[in-house]
Amino acid sequence: MSAVLELRGVCKRFGGIVVADDVALDLDRGQILGLIGPNGAGKTSLFNLISGVVPLDAGEIRIEGRNLAGRKLHERARMGVARTWQNMRLFQTMTVLENMVVAPREYAGESIARLVFAPGAVRRAVAESCDKALAILDRMHLAHLADSPVTDLPFGQQKLVGLARALMNDGPCLLLDEPMAGVEGQAYDTMKEIVRQEAAAGRAVCVVEHNISFIKDLCTSAVFMSFGRILERGSVAELLASRTLAELYFGA
Amino acid sequence: MEYLATILILVGINVMLAASFNLIIGKAGLASIAHPIFYALGAYTSGLLAIHTGLNAVAATLAGGAVAALFSLMMSLPSLRVAGDYLMITSIGFQLGLLQVIKNLEFTGSQGGLSNIPTPVSGPERAFVFCVIALAAAAVTLAAIRWIVRGPYGRAINAMRDDELAFQALGRNATRIKIVIFAIGCGIAGIAGGLYAFYFQYVSPEQFEILASGTMLTMVVVGGMGSTWGPVVGALILVALPQAITFLNLPPSFMAPVQGMIFTLLVILFLFLRPQGLVPPEPPAPLAHRPADREGKGAR
Repeated sequence: MSAVLELRGVCKRFGGIVVADDVALDLDRGQILGLIGPNGAGKTSLFNLISGVVPLDAGEIRIEGRNLAGRKLHERARMGVARTWQNMRLFQTMTVLENMVVAPREYAGESIARLVFAPGAVRRAVAESCDKALAILDRMHLAHLADSPVTDLPFGQQKLVGLARALMNDGPCLLLDEPMAGVEGQAYDTMKEIVRQEAAAGRAVCVVEHNISFIKDLCTSAVFMSFGRILERGSVAELLASRTLAELYFGA
Repeated sequence: MEYLATILILVGINVMLAASFNLIIGKAGLASIAHPIFYALGAYTSGLLAIHTGLNAVAATLAGGAVAALFSLMMSLPSLRVAGDYLMITSIGFQLGLLQVIKNLEFTGSQGGLSNIPTPVSGPERAFVFCVIALAAAAVTLAAIRWIVRGPYGRAINAMRDDELAFQALGRNATRIKIVIFAIGCGIAGIAGGLYAFYFQYVSPEQFEILASGTMLTMVVVGGMGSTWGPVVGALILVALPQAITFLNLPPSFMAPVQGMIFTLLVILFLFLRPQGLVPPEPPAPLAHRPADREGKGAR
């Protein structure tokens, strides 16, 4: 079986700054891949290239064998690329549940024509999304906050909502951008548990994270990036023992 | 009586304009100020159809709306790649450019405007009939926009306005939503234009200049951006105010500048003191769902 997500020869530069230099990567079902490296290594940029925020200069990205070239952001999400953001990007004027209800791959309420000619079907689809969202929130012990405005939640819980919203997309590929930054206590444990469950359920997960203990606990393998290049890849233990990583991270 | 009916007709037309403009800039956050040109397109289209083809007034008015909606694509398709200030600049260019065309074409009556538009109703109750139609059209507009904004589509619009990038990354086609919103809003303005043309039987290009953009913006800002009833309040005030000024018995050359100053002052005052406008937006309809705590854990 081929990988869920394949990157081949991916290149991107912004003027003189190289954010991706001939990057090749495979992501399989059930895998949790850690993406580590110093700030500016191109980790988030790689997510932006995969999800379609910025176009590639060269190379190829495939999801389940389908080429993403020329596909827009929303098309890629519908093809199964789900992602979160470092700074969450929640819809600030909406409740937790509303944030999630607009997030499935297909949102029935997006078409005026369907609202006019098949209002019943739209209502049923939205109700189903609500159920699905509540089930996800249940797993995060947040269901009682479903009707709260997202801005009322503490930071850690907002991070969880960011993940919960991404999980509304049932696609095979999940990209998590620093899910742990600023998260501690109960939310930390919940986040870890949910990511583990999603991978076990067959998603291919890629995590950008500076929290090494999170990577150690969770990731099956990892790659180390610097200046847009993948310098090392292997198991987390191998990578952590590597001299290159120590030098670049700590200047040792 | 006819004076009062005329005022109410203007209120109805302006409610349609303010409500549809509010959908575009207040609700969807699309910074266009070209709304008067779509009003003009509706007025000219229905007027010209009535003059040259004798098409009945209802059909001509609807055609005016359709043409305005169609022309909105000419603005939205190329310019939706840009947002914010850039969209505003594009929209000004579109409005003034198209207005220049109208001012210089023979068949639109050029500078002098389009006159002798045939009236569909005549007789003593003419003003009353128009009054009922204008107010009914305004009511239908408000109901339709409220339906769009409060339902699942409105939820998508809110999310798009809050964070367009995150919205797209969830699989939502933001561009299509913007095009649809523009077409609906501009189509309503076109229908309002048709009503205007048939009642006043005369359309002048001057009434669709930047000053009209200012007036419509004032209605939306004073009434309340993004609120359902705000445009009604805004339209009432902006129709009543010039009438009130006439009672001051100022010389006519003085009136227009005074009016302009008052409108501008209103916008500035409101933006500083009450940015949400007179009628703040109502909270969206709560999302009905099954009780959250199936397993009895959590707060209650």
